[in-house]
Amino acid sequence: MTRSLQRTWPGVPWVAPAIALLLALSIYPLLYAIQVSFTGRAGEFTFSHYVRLTQDKLFLQALGQTLLYTAVALAIEFVLGFALALLVDSLPRGRGFFRAGLLAPMLLPPVVVAVIWRLIYNPQFGVLNGTLRAMGFNPDALTWTSGESSAMASVILVDIWEWTPFLFLLLSAGLQAIPQEPLEAARMDGASSWQIFRDILLPLLKPVILLAILLRAMDLMRIFDQIFILTQGGPGFATETISLYIYRTAFRFFNFGYAAAMSFLGLALTIVFARWLMRLMKVER
Amino acid sequence: MIRGWRLLPCALLLAACGGTGSRPSLTIAINAGVEGDALKAAANEWAAHNSTRLEIVELPYANLFEKELLDLTSRTGAYDVIMMDDPWFPRLVENGSLAPLERQPDADFLTSCLDVCREPYRTGTYYALPYVGNSQLFFYRKDLFDRYGLAEPATWDDVLNAARKIGAAEKMYGYVMRAAPGNAAVTDFMPLYWAFGAEVFDASGRPALATTEAFDSLRFMLELGKYSPPGYTGFNADEVSAHLLQSTAAMSINWPAWIAAMDDPARSKAVGKIAFAQMPSARRKGVAELGAWLLAIPAASKNRERAANFLFWATEAAQLKQAALRGNPPTRRSVFLDPALRARFRSFPAQLASLETARPRPRTPHWNEIENAFGLYLSRANAGSVSPEEAMRRAEREIAAIVQRGK
Repeated sequence: MTRSLQRTWPGVPWVAPAIALLLALSIYPLLYAIQVSFTGRAGEFTFSHYVRLTQDKLFLQALGQTLLYTAVALAIEFVLGFALALLVDSLPRGRGFFRAGLLAPMLLPPVVVAVIWRLIYNPQFGVLNGTLRAMGFNPDALTWTSGESSAMASVILVDIWEWTPFLFLLLSAGLQAIPQEPLEAARMDGASSWQIFRDILLPLLKPVILLAILLRAMDLMRIFDQIFILTQGGPGFATETISLYIYRTAFRFFNFGYAAAMSFLGLALTIVFARWLMRLMKVER
Repeated sequence: MIRGWRLLPCALLLAACGGTGSRPSLTIAINAGVEGDALKAAANEWAAHNSTRLEIVELPYANLFEKELLDLTSRTGAYDVIMMDDPWFPRLVENGSLAPLERQPDADFLTSCLDVCREPYRTGTYYALPYVGNSQLFFYRKDLFDRYGLAEPATWDDVLNAARKIGAAEKMYGYVMRAAPGNAAVTDFMPLYWAFGAEVFDASGRPALATTEAFDSLRFMLELGKYSPPGYTGFNADEVSAHLLQSTAAMSINWPAWIAAMDDPARSKAVGKIAFAQMPSARRKGVAELGAWLLAIPAASKNRERAANFLFWATEAAQLKQAALRGNPPTRRSVFLDPALRARFRSFPAQLASLETARPRPRTPHWNEIENAFGLYLSRANAGSVSPEEAMRRAEREIAAIVQRGK
């Protein structure tokens, strides 16, 4: 037995349960899912699910819509979250109060948020159109989640309402961790607010920004619950995302092989995106 | 003596194991909703009379099918009795997953409800018994029809004319329908589709949606959409019923489960004003879509005999009368004709007439997937993003691919 093995061996029984749990709950299901994605209806080995992925127009549309949803929601949530973090950070007092208040939407379960917004968006009985009506407008054309052109924007708005606080929280924590000395030195040297923001705050915050974008983007790419309750992917196919499409394929149509193949493509895209962001983070260090 | 004391825990353990093992048990998977509530009450009563340990697994509609199919395909025998929506039957009965019934159901059951319990459809062996006799009804505002001198709508043209007239004269929508993708759009469309003479499959089993009859029926749906509330392309049953309850729409296709709400003063602004009619006709006589709930026994159940006893008991006339009082439409003629129930439920004659002629959804194990594809294009046509002809052609292509993949 080598020296390193002799050194490691006594620790093995202590980590063995955790490794066994990891193997049973993560690695085995992952390997099984890979096997399923290459298995046909009769149990034969097949590439057909992956071939179908390239020909399935609905899947490609759902993928495009997922990327659109992710990009738009992430961009707006980031800008709003950053602006709010800077605003609250600059307040002389009451920061704790505003932080607690702004976090409220994020603390609600996504399903509850979706149900609330479904009621808000109802064209006839919802509070949104009701308020517009009370103000003398005619909101009949505003069908929100029911209109093919407005549905995607409506579901993105719900995501922004719920998850902007998450970016606010991370960026706010990042701002608080920035040392004050460089900022004070820059002020003494006569730097403008914009110069301080661009040349000091932004570079110092970059690791936090990239981490926040990475976490939020991974979450957005697997969006399911809100859309399932708000629109079920409709009207037509206007708000279908890959998670919804995979769910339907697996649990409504019981085509687990194709659902697994779609899941792996989604996983591959997320990994590529995550690795790109992580490389950026390394470069910054 | 000491040795005897030492043996006591073992004896107690054995007694406990023996007690649990000897007491008969029954596990039932039911739908979380009004249909399941009635069955749950009946099962508790049956278990108490038969000294049976009862386990009820109550699942929401969206999860019930997947749990049942997983249990049947893996043959775990987790459930002794399962409750299923009738379109699921062709999929759940595949590969001998359900146990055939050893007794024939009696002739008091309505034929339309019994036919969907057989494999092959209508002619084969019985694998289930019908528990809830659901079929669509045409809900309309009788008070407004009387006010404008309109007769009960017998044809879809009558519906359109009434929608125009009432929509123009009243501060309400003439008609309301649901066209959210998937099940919602298809369910409301099928009576219209059939009435125009269209079918999902032709006589040889090939998808047949790109026909003149199919195009005309979808064009007619879009015409009705002009008199529906904005945003109906995202509507489900809740929104449709909300319009009737709030007195903001005059007509719709709906299910018997909503009848009680229409006459409930706490929920409805149209108490006693809504009448229930048969599906309107067009080129063919109008028929409703069937949506019966069935009870069946998984082949892998370890308590098949007990499960069969429960199944036949729960669907006896006396039990279905109790279920009707708890809100479930019955599946037996004698219960529909019961004078006490007729006095209590004014819609019973219309429900019976609807059930007698109701049509099930096409009997295919791939219906979930077909309905999803069909409903997607119906919803898109209603949203105006594709023409009726294009929607039907694309739906036909999608359905043909689904059928091909399923072979």
